[in-house]
Amino acid sequence: MIEALFQSVPAMILLTGALVALASALPGTFLVLRGQAMASDAIAHAIVLGIVLAWMLSGARSGPLPVLGAALAGLASVVGAQLLARSRLMGNDAAIGLVFPAMFALGVLLINLNARNLHLDADTVLLGEIGFVWLHTVELAGYGVPVAMLTLGAVALVNAAFVGLLWKELKLSSFDPALAAALGFRPGLLGLALLALVSVTAVAAFDAVGVVLFLAFLIVPAVTGQLLCRGLAAMLGVAMLSGLASVGLGYGLALRWDVSIGGMMALCTGAGLGLALLASPRSGLVAVLLRRRALALEARVRVLLIHLAAHQGTPVEAEENTLEALEEHLRWPPDMAQAVVLAALDQGLIRRHAQRFELSETGQARATAWLRAEDRRRAMPPERVPAGTPGSDA
Amino acid sequence: MPELSHTLVTVALAAALMGTLAGVLGSFLVLRGQALLGDVISHAALPGVVLGFMVSGSRDFLSILLGALLAGGLAGLSVQWLRRGAGLKPDAALGVVLALFFAAGIVLYSQVQGRPGSAGLQVFLFGQAASVLRTDLMAMALVAALVLALVLALWKEFQFITFDAEAARAQGLPVSALETLLGVLVAVAIVLGLALAGVVLMVAMLIAPAVAARQWVDRLASMVLLAAGFGALAGVAGAVISAQAAGLATGPVMVLAASALVALSLLFAPGRGLLARLALRWRARRALHGRQVLAALHGLELDHANPDHRSEETMLDAYLGTRAAPQLERLAREGLIRRERHGPEGRIHWELTDAGRARLGAGAADSDRSGA
Amino acid sequence: MTALHEPHIACHIEDLTVSYHEQPVLWDIDLDIPPGVMAAVVGPNGAGKSTLIKAVLGLVRPVAGHVRIFGEPVARARRRVGYVPQRQSVDWDFPATALDVVLMGLYGRLGWFRRPGRTERARAMTALAEVGLEDYAARQISQLSGGQQQRVFIARALVQEADLYFLDEPMAGVDAVTEAAIVTLLRRQRDAGRTVVVVHHDLQTVARYFDWLVMLNKRIIAQGPVSEVYTAENLRAAYGGQLALINALDLAGGGEARPGA
Repeated sequence: MIEALFQSVPAMILLTGALVALASALPGTFLVLRGQAMASDAIAHAIVLGIVLAWMLSGARSGPLPVLGAALAGLASVVGAQLLARSRLMGNDAAIGLVFPAMFALGVLLINLNARNLHLDADTVLLGEIGFVWLHTVELAGYGVPVAMLTLGAVALVNAAFVGLLWKELKLSSFDPALAAALGFRPGLLGLALLALVSVTAVAAFDAVGVVLFLAFLIVPAVTGQLLCRGLAAMLGVAMLSGLASVGLGYGLALRWDVSIGGMMALCTGAGLGLALLASPRSGLVAVLLRRRALALEARVRVLLIHLAAHQGTPVEAEENTLEALEEHLRWPPDMAQAVVLAALDQGLIRRHAQRFELSETGQARATAWLRAEDRRRAMPPERVPAGTPGSDA
Repeated sequence: MPELSHTLVTVALAAALMGTLAGVLGSFLVLRGQALLGDVISHAALPGVVLGFMVSGSRDFLSILLGALLAGGLAGLSVQWLRRGAGLKPDAALGVVLALFFAAGIVLYSQVQGRPGSAGLQVFLFGQAASVLRTDLMAMALVAALVLALVLALWKEFQFITFDAEAARAQGLPVSALETLLGVLVAVAIVLGLALAGVVLMVAMLIAPAVAARQWVDRLASMVLLAAGFGALAGVAGAVISAQAAGLATGPVMVLAASALVALSLLFAPGRGLLARLALRWRARRALHGRQVLAALHGLELDHANPDHRSEETMLDAYLGTRAAPQLERLAREGLIRRERHGPEGRIHWELTDAGRARLGAGAADSDRSGA
Repeated sequence: MTALHEPHIACHIEDLTVSYHEQPVLWDIDLDIPPGVMAAVVGPNGAGKSTLIKAVLGLVRPVAGHVRIFGEPVARARRRVGYVPQRQSVDWDFPATALDVVLMGLYGRLGWFRRPGRTERARAMTALAEVGLEDYAARQISQLSGGQQQRVFIARALVQEADLYFLDEPMAGVDAVTEAAIVTLLRRQRDAGRTVVVVHHDLQTVARYFDWLVMLNKRIIAQGPVSEVYTAENLRAAYGGQLALINALDLAGGGEARPGA
């Protein structure tokens, strides 16, 4: 059975994709939490230089040396950018946008110059092709296992071990680096280690999906998890599930439409994000629209109550406090007037009295309170909240 | 051979145009802290490039340009929407848009692979000097002229919103509209440069000339002009060099040229440059007289109301604004001060000897004026 | 290894100097905080108050000087020090509950790799109860009000069971009720023999809440018992002539300027 598994190209592809998704979701979750999503863009491009240099020094195209070279290059790009930014001669973003393109350019140039010797094509580095992972296999326990799968599997294990063992340390240093430092947990080192792992994962993934598509697996599922979940573990779980689903969906669609498999898998991470954007309890479109509508209705009920209160007990009451008057004087379209009246009736704020409405006791109390608040607000001088006061208490 | 030099001239001109435009618009991007937005728009242009090709059925410069512009613009809008509408953090919004748009580009590209002329699309990844044709050059020049004219016409407004958007808004300027326009112009600058620099590296052409220029001048107008010049220089250098050697992509060479300009600027710019700062520090160290060190020690003694006060060496460095070690050694040799390891960490401290006090006392009025 | 240096002083600082890009932020700080006091650190904006705390805790590298906590270097005395940073130093959108955050205070005790277990959760719940938030243990921190967030931070410090607490502007931006609650909590710690050091933003309440005062403006202007240090002269020296402000403060000797019981 295992034999069949390793012989089946689709299974190999899917498995490799799944490993990319899992290996990426682990560091990706923390990167997104720490606001370092774009640092991974820098890393993904910079590692090309590391790989090429490692090859030039040792002739190895895969194995520990390129991985080490990549990790160093990835770290160098981020640390280099930080040093440049610290000199205060340029901003953080500019520093990033200077260092990684320069490193990437150097890498591509070296590839161009050594094109004949290096079986590495600049385009492959950028794009990868997961469809071809089965070309490079290695003998393992009698089965031909794709090298990419092995590397990815190893990296996924390392990432899982890192995140698993250092779960609380990563959580603390991402939430409150000051306390982490005060407690002796070396948040700086942890951060560097995280970035080093991202570099290593990028190397492992570039064979399969290329460096830029790897970015999609690193960032998008994590953002999806952040939108949907309230806890850190759940966020990681959703990130992994979303990545896995994207692999499956992407593979199916890619076959159907005859397009790049890796590209389609990466694009499908966006599908998960799209769903999250619609459904997110906090910032999802649906939630926002509903909330906005409820607020608007609340505001109109208030207007209704004040209108009723203003005319109640006056000679014009009979004509002012009717539905028609609402439509005319408040300029509300008929269905809106109906909806507002219904809402007020539901809340027990008004009562029907033949053709007109009158306020209930509750409605009366509320209208009075609002009117008083309005008067008070207009009488008071504008308040100045001192800058930097983080939201006064509720 | 006339044929060759013709191509070379065309390429050089195209590169100069593109570099100029990138330098000008990049200056605004850098000053507004939006360098990475340039990165996103560049990568996001890929699907637009492919779509343009698909729609026009050929490597028609204009349709590709339009496609790239639309895609880039859409990407910019998406980033904004993700940030404001969905509440994503800035880096997350940027990363998501970059990754997804680029993935879409890869998918589309794989669709057209094999179609006639599609191989030409590869140039948009890393740029290829030879890809620029004469007809392209005319179109480029026209668009570039338009963009520059707009920047010139709206110069005051752009300057205002770059430095103080709030004040601009308070004065009634349509800040959002201006920002959107600026974004569109940035996208145009990016799109014009894609054939030469490629999607991946275009961001450096936006940022490097601007950062380099910033090291030399302080005013916006001078910075933009200098950035334009640097951009053109790097562009031409990259284009010409890569055209000489077959198999060298243009983008990388351009970026390395631009990065070299940045490095040189960071090193040699007067005032801000590394060498200038080192020189300043060296001069400060040389200007440090023994008398100042003695006065400093005395001043610290007065501060602590303790004639036996020992001052930590690093604190003396901070007090005097420079590394005092050479002077301290010299004074110690003359017997005017004494070194000791002091404190629970055993750090180097210095204290005035009687001889040193006497030397100071010789100009007592002076020493009492300095110090505390 | 080395003998204790000034062990009877809760926090002993000598010659502390911190520079930021070659500009002195803290200069030649000599500060001794005796054990068992409730101390306020005040000074104008930019005086270096937060930097002082960070330098003491080793979060910022000083150019010169040394710090001892109960006679030991900070690295060795970490267990005995609790830290409550400024509320806005943290992103409250983080996916964590109130209990999660309080648990973080126990991480130091757990050390590397170990996970918090039932004992830790129980202690965290107790700390939450002490600040009156036991019902909010499962609430997402993004849904807490400013005052509640501040109290969670304090619970996180209480759970560390430290001997010396540093709090950075714990009462900024909270309502009067929360402020009173925080002062009560801190006083309870002081009465139990612990030392509390607070970077305080409100001169009006210094005399009422605290018994020890440190006035800072890049240098130490004055330090000592509140009644001795809280004088118009010192305030002028620290705040540089904002006379209207100083005159408005009630500096009448005795009366309200007595530290609370």
